[in-house]
Amino acid sequence: MSGDDALTSVAFAAVQLVTFLVFAPFLLATIRRTKARLQGRRGPALLQPYRDLAKWWGKAPLESRTATPFGRHAPALVFGCLASAALLVPFAATRAPLVGWGDLFVVVGLLAAARFVLALAAFDAAGAFGAMGSSRDVAIAALAEPGLVLALAGAALAAGSSDLGSISRFGVDQGIGLLGPAHLLAAGAFAIVVVAETGHQPVDNPDTHLELTMIHEAMLLESSGRALATLVYASELKLVLLAALFVAAFLPFGAATEFTPVPLAIGTIVGCAKILLIGQALAVLDAGIAKMRILSLPDLLGVASLLALTGLGTRILLA
Amino acid sequence: MVLAPDHVALTSLFAAVAASFTLAAATALFHRSAGIAPLFSVLGGVCAAVLGIGLVLGPGDVSLAAGRVLDFSPLTLHYDGLSGAFLVAVGLSTAAASLSIVGSGPRSRIEGSGYPLFLLSMVLVLGASDAFSFLLAWELMAVLSALLVVGTRPSGPDLAAGYLYLAMTHVATAAIVIGFAILAAGVGGDLAFAAWRAGSGDLAAGPRDLVFLLVVVGFGTKAGALPFHAWLPRAHPVAPSHVSAVMSGVMIKMGVYGLVRIALDVMGGGPDWWGLVLVVIGASSAVLGVLYALMQHDLKRLLAYHSIENIGIILLGLGSALVLKAHGLPDLAALALAAALFHSLNHAVFKTLLFLGAGAVVHVTGLRDLDRMGGLARIMPVTALTFGVGAAAISGLPPFNGFASEWLVFQGLLGTVASAAVPALARSVAAVTIGALALTAALAVACFVKVTGIAFLGRPRSDAASTGHETSGPARLAMGFLAGSCLALGLAAGPIVTALMSVSRTVLGEFASAPAGLAAVTALPRPAGSGATFAAFALGLLVCAAAIGTASVQRRRGVRVRQVDTWTCGIAPQPAFQYTAASYSKPIRLFFHRILLPEREIRVEYHPGTAFPVSIHYRSQITLLLEDRIFRPGHVLGLRAAKVARRLQGGAIQLYLAYTVIAVLILLLVAR
Repeated sequence: MSGDDALTSVAFAAVQLVTFLVFAPFLLATIRRTKARLQGRRGPALLQPYRDLAKWWGKAPLESRTATPFGRHAPALVFGCLASAALLVPFAATRAPLVGWGDLFVVVGLLAAARFVLALAAFDAAGAFGAMGSSRDVAIAALAEPGLVLALAGAALAAGSSDLGSISRFGVDQGIGLLGPAHLLAAGAFAIVVVAETGHQPVDNPDTHLELTMIHEAMLLESSGRALATLVYASELKLVLLAALFVAAFLPFGAATEFTPVPLAIGTIVGCAKILLIGQALAVLDAGIAKMRILSLPDLLGVASLLALTGLGTRILLA
Repeated sequence: MVLAPDHVALTSLFAAVAASFTLAAATALFHRSAGIAPLFSVLGGVCAAVLGIGLVLGPGDVSLAAGRVLDFSPLTLHYDGLSGAFLVAVGLSTAAASLSIVGSGPRSRIEGSGYPLFLLSMVLVLGASDAFSFLLAWELMAVLSALLVVGTRPSGPDLAAGYLYLAMTHVATAAIVIGFAILAAGVGGDLAFAAWRAGSGDLAAGPRDLVFLLVVVGFGTKAGALPFHAWLPRAHPVAPSHVSAVMSGVMIKMGVYGLVRIALDVMGGGPDWWGLVLVVIGASSAVLGVLYALMQHDLKRLLAYHSIENIGIILLGLGSALVLKAHGLPDLAALALAAALFHSLNHAVFKTLLFLGAGAVVHVTGLRDLDRMGGLARIMPVTALTFGVGAAAISGLPPFNGFASEWLVFQGLLGTVASAAVPALARSVAAVTIGALALTAALAVACFVKVTGIAFLGRPRSDAASTGHETSGPARLAMGFLAGSCLALGLAAGPIVTALMSVSRTVLGEFASAPAGLAAVTALPRPAGSGATFAAFALGLLVCAAAIGTASVQRRRGVRVRQVDTWTCGIAPQPAFQYTAASYSKPIRLFFHRILLPEREIRVEYHPGTAFPVSIHYRSQITLLLEDRIFRPGHVLGLRAAKVARRLQGGAIQLYLAYTVIAVLILLLVAR
């Protein structure tokens, strides 16, 4: 890689990270707004998530008497893993900002690393709720993981590479022909996984404050101040990240194939629009259906794995 | 002894390894203060690791030959790149495990001297280049490890575990002996591996398949793969922790080594169903291993179950290498084999680390039950930190080494799915396996969050866990070294994989040029170092930089952090409010109830005439599908059959004469 290329990559990475970070709270705001409208309420202002972050950022921190240095540094580790993953997912163009640094398995690995740190830090306060959320989170993630990997593997199989940029490029080149049965099966599987991984209905209620039903919220219960802000921001980033992953692998149309300013700007706008649409779909789910019993989640997520596997089988048999 | 050195420096290193371990054994046996004996073992381990690196990088092989034994066979040793790859694992693991016991003497002299000899026997297994030497070293390893498991004064359950291990390992050896006999018969009784390799093409398909199945049983048992695993979770936890570390870290890898050596190197691979057998065994070992691990409360037994899981992951790499080789895809086969070799090395490092950590916990608190631990990070911070690193590594998280090798295994499987040259059945099996491996990785995360969180974070759940001090200096040094290795091996994955790929190519040998249709496959990414989609080093730095960056933004100078009680709905926090190992794994126990078949029993006693409970008794256990539903009934059936058969032996001579007459009559009828 020549010096010029390296500089472009760094600049591109910085732009993508900033875009994600600025966009993430906004996405959450639109989801809340749509959900509220569907429920006949006005809903919070579009700037509310930014205000919440700013509020927590300025608060005096409290920590549990049992806190360890690990628990203190966990929010930064979680955020670091997710921010790194954000640089490996193609968004505006059909290449990731850091080409060749990591493929789909690396992104999945970084998501797992963020989950590991967060779930472990939930033990730090020695309360019952933290570990309760942690226990449910890792169990649901274990059910979702095969669907996640198999769906992406299906896209990789079609593109002939596990590199997300290549997968995205393949999709753009194929055009409408991409949307074959195998592709749709994998996309369906991935959609279910996104719902589970980001904690939306019917898997988790993102707005709940009832301790016994919380999953993600329960792990943040003992955080305050900047630690809380960092963790909430990380979860907002994770939503954008997973949506961007969905778009890159299954709906890459509109992403720039050339690396020049105008197509990149168009790619960014189209990308944000697609992610907003995915967010509104999640809002409709949130407003429209009730939470499933946790014990029936294996059925839902098993369906995701089977859809993805059927997609892979279709490719193997029809190719 | 006749020396025929190919490479003088490496040969002298081998001499140093052998001398160090022998010296360690002698010191432990004869010296009064045996605390220094482990130092010689440390030296031996370091030399073995250096020798292994030298062999992998390949300036030359090491060959040694001793005279004929009873005019039967010469004892020959030949170390090549494949031996080297496993020697590095043996060296790192044994050096660290031995370092951890420096200064603290063994339970007895016999054990003190048996331990280094056990280490030496593994080094000899890796070099043995004829059937006689191999079996000699193999048996030495089995007997010495069994001795270390039961100790010199065994008690009831420990003795049972030791017997089970001894019995299973000998059934396994019997299978290996029969396999070797078939191979030797094919070349006119020659016992040298080299002769088998040269003549393996002449053997008919039937005997070859039989040999393969026999070595799968034999080496699979030593490796602890399903369904030959029953001994492993019983025997490993019983041994002293540094011995458990070496057994789980490297001894079970000798089974993997044997499989690679015989099935791939000597026999040169076979039809693709060989690979599929290993893939299916690997996938079931991985998934069931981690599921059973999640259900354990005993720290050491939990770690032992994770060995089954990781052996499964290694077998996935090995199996896909066999499938790919059978269909003439050399590059991908080399990649998959390198994945198996790399994961063997990585598992040796982090499993040794985790067992040493568990040993430190057991030593300091006397506890093995997770539900009585808690908050240990306060009294043993170094152990907690290094155990956490090992937990992240075994869970396959970037930037640690476990992730790098799991990434390669995924690539090998994806390559199998993507290759048009492979038949649809094998591709479909590989596709399902990708899902199984993803499930395994996610369950491993769940399990190690559970172990680390319950043992090291939160509040102590018993008095034993609240008092105590950090473990000994050498042990901390050993764990620190291994934790550093987890990170270093992960960051340096690129060059390591490149070196292991060349070893894999040598093992796989030259074979026919690839058929058309390979173009689609070669588009798949190659590992880091050869033009890559996973830049391990850069990515590791990126993650660290991102985390440190966030931390520095987040930190506030001059603001006092107020310490408060954890919110527990208004009551003062109690240690008993915390989740236990059983409660943490409950969702998974219920999600997978068809496999785990959990049972629970709740007994509540009430104050007479009220709804207030006096005591609540909760018991929950799972069913081990293979052991409880198949092996145990089979065992009972076998005993019953033996009882029936005993009636034939009435003791009366007339009865025996009658048997003879009946036998003669039957023979006459049949052979007429």
